Amino acid sequence: MNKDIEVSISNKNDVSIIAIKGDVTANTGEAIEKAYHQVSQDGAKRILLCFDKGSYINSGGIAILIGIAAESRENAQTIRMTGLSDHFKKIFHMMGLTKYTEIFPSEESALKDFH
Amino acid sequence: MTPENRIELHIPSVMGFEKVAMECAATTAKNMGFTEDRVEDLKTAVAEACLNAIEHGNQLDRSTRVGITLTVEESKLQVSVKDEGKGVADIPTPSIENKIACKEKPRGWGIFLIKQLVNEVAFEPNPEGGNVVRMIIYLDKK
Repeated sequence: MNKDIEVSISNKNDVSIIAIKGDVTANTGEAIEKAYHQVSQDGAKRILLCFDKGSYINSGGIAILIGIAAESRENAQTIRMTGLSDHFKKIFHMMGLTKYTEIFPSEESALKDFH
Repeated sequence: MTPENRIELHIPSVMGFEKVAMECAATTAKNMGFTEDRVEDLKTAVAEACLNAIEHGNQLDRSTRVGITLTVEESKLQVSVKDEGKGVADIPTPSIENKIACKEKPRGWGIFLIKQLVNEVAFEPNPEGGNVVRMIIYLDKK
């Protein structure tokens, strides 16, 4: 386990929720990938990544998320994100990642939109 | 220039230490009166420049260090990040489409982000050896 990140998995209304607390970097990305692969193995088609607003996210971490977004297309999954600060919303938009994974202001609004 | 207008620090070439430089730059920018969103822009730019210096410039060699110099002027903050290696070549703009289609590796966003987030950036060889990234962020510009 990496002390800089805590990742947990839950399920609400047929949506697999991956809650990420802490740094999102190349070093911590393995924990996120592991959670994604676990829910994928369990057959998840709708996945919500919940970030912590105060998290430090760098390009190494964003690359991990791009890898997950790429894999999700092959697996016919829908991935959404919530909990991002305004800064990282801007960064993800700047990079074009929001064309592939929509960002929602809250867990509730993301879950509602899945259905 | 007065001594308090120049801050220098050196970090080990170990991933994670970029946060030390990032927080130092953020504190300096806040003290200068930069808005919260510009401070966030600067934090990401400084972190990415340091990461490039650690990983690509210094090749994660623990015997090397990354030097960061903050120079405070009335209307701008300049941040220089120096490595001891070959530096990072200016690479073409990454394509999210190619990365999602697995035609490119998902990494390679650091320089793109730096260019987007600061007002001026230059990648230059350092006369004393290694390379330096010079970034400038202005108080009155977005």
